[in-house]
Amino acid sequence: MIEVSGLKKTFGDVVAIEDVSFKAADARVTGLLGHNGAGKSTSLRVLYGLIQPETGYAKIDGIDVSQDRITAQSKLGVLPDGHGLYSRLTAREHLQYFGRLHGLADDRIEARSAELIRMLDMQGIADRRTEGFSQGERMKVCLARALIHDPRHVVLDEPTNGLDVMTTRKVRELIAELKTLGLCVLFSSHLMYEVAKLCDDIVIIAAGRVVAIGSPEEIRAAAGVDNLEDAFVLLSEQAARA
Amino acid sequence: MNVVRAVLIKELKDGLRDRRALLSAFLFPLLAPVFIYGLMTLVIKQNTESEDLVLPVIGQGYAPALMRQFEEAGFTLEAFDGSPETAVRDKTVELVVQVPEDYQETMANFEPTQVLVIHDGSRNDTRTIVRKVRNLISNYNNELAALRLIARGVSPRILQGVRAKSSDVASDEQRAANLLNFIPIYVLMAAFVCGLGLAIDNTAGERERRSLEPLLINPVTRTALIFGKWLAASALAGAGMIITLGLCLGAMLALPIDELGLNFTLTAGQVLMLLVAILPVPMFASSLQLLLGLFAKSFKDAQSYVGILVFIPVVPTLVMQFLPVASSLWMYFVPIFGQSLMIKEILGAETIPLLAYPAAFITTFATSLLVCWITGRLLSQERVIQS
Repeated sequence: MIEVSGLKKTFGDVVAIEDVSFKAADARVTGLLGHNGAGKSTSLRVLYGLIQPETGYAKIDGIDVSQDRITAQSKLGVLPDGHGLYSRLTAREHLQYFGRLHGLADDRIEARSAELIRMLDMQGIADRRTEGFSQGERMKVCLARALIHDPRHVVLDEPTNGLDVMTTRKVRELIAELKTLGLCVLFSSHLMYEVAKLCDDIVIIAAGRVVAIGSPEEIRAAAGVDNLEDAFVLLSEQAARA
Repeated sequence: MNVVRAVLIKELKDGLRDRRALLSAFLFPLLAPVFIYGLMTLVIKQNTESEDLVLPVIGQGYAPALMRQFEEAGFTLEAFDGSPETAVRDKTVELVVQVPEDYQETMANFEPTQVLVIHDGSRNDTRTIVRKVRNLISNYNNELAALRLIARGVSPRILQGVRAKSSDVASDEQRAANLLNFIPIYVLMAAFVCGLGLAIDNTAGERERRSLEPLLINPVTRTALIFGKWLAASALAGAGMIITLGLCLGAMLALPIDELGLNFTLTAGQVLMLLVAILPVPMFASSLQLLLGLFAKSFKDAQSYVGILVFIPVVPTLVMQFLPVASSLWMYFVPIFGQSLMIKEILGAETIPLLAYPAAFITTFATSLLVCWITGRLLSQERVIQS
């Protein structure tokens, strides 16, 4: 269970997020929806302990990220905004490095790596250096290293951004699979149809504020339109004008 | 501890696979013997007599006795034609001696006569031969004066009032070490050069390729990450420094330093003392490089900052050159200064105060730890991920 309440963060004069509160429950997929620059990445960065909020808190299973960053981070699997890999290490070595940083024993890392490589169809690239990997291949490595410690909470920042159809499908399958395993999955996107298809709950962020929360049906009802995409645009524009 | 080890292993693996960066880093130590050999042979050549010294002379016939003096000193005389100034300026000859036409006449009248030595005072390579020629002429003058006095029944000793007699207190080893002042510079520079690539790739590179954010999401302390990175860069810098030291010492032992009348020997004890003395230097260098690498806005920025650090080892030698003071204990407490002094003193077989070793080691090591801690703090700041 992820809980975010009253987050505010400014960078200099720029207010990145004004007031962000939402919850993401276990065994459900929660989508964080918003335009570019709406405050999605900033909210998530507070959540995974990279930046300190000025007000409010983010809790993972009741643990405040600002109070006990390390315990909170050990419960999270994160695909952050930055997707950088080490070009001279193989995919498997990436998993090994991140596994060790999570304090896992080497045999545990090996077993889990094999499992993730199978899950993400990475057999062909597992022992190649990541230099020259395609976008999709890089994303798979990033996802695998985020999941190496078998976390109960998964936070994905724009996981399908810039991917081809095949890899996008794979990522969506993975999200669905994580849900059936009972995990708490939170992901951000600016693609309405993706969120509509995958999510049980939707959080719409616009201009640093949460403007709507609920199931796809509830969102449509709140905006008073039939189409979810229209609802998203309408709510975002209302917030921007306010 | 496990985190530090994991980071150390990963960074070393990553760094050692970067063949191109590794090659450029280790080119520096490998060039050391070439550099030393070239420089030393040049110095030796300039300081020792070459086999055939050719002396171009105008008007040889006017002063046969003086010419005999030159020949006895090993010069081959050669008649010179044309403008001596132009020839010296064009560097076709090193110098020209011109005997005036009225040499015999003035000599017979006991009038002073002048023999012209035409040379280029801005040339370092001809200084020795010019000095030699002037000394020969001056000696000849003294002899002549003595003969003239004897002919008048006066003892030439009456002319000798005070004479300078020099006594050099430097031991042969010390002079050799003095001559090889650049060894501390080169060895210490290696510590700053060899780990440089890894240190920058570790910090500024990590941010540039956007892998810093995923790294910081791991449930570990930032200090542990920095210590792992620090040890990896230090290991590489240390390896480079020790290779450089070995190659420098090897080159010096292989060189004909005795031709300069100097003596250079090396015992196993000295080598061990050297290693102990310089051990903390790569750690110091790497800690500063990590700090600057993380502080810099970009990879390029980091390269220029860290590049300046490479010149730190030159500073102590420069200072000692312009402010030649006897070494006192406080100097060993200054990182790099202390080590620079110790290398020179160990090579010169001088005695070092026993306290110098712990003093230099502790302050240098402690400073490195402090810099790492500051770097860890910097890594905890939010601005570090916002490039």
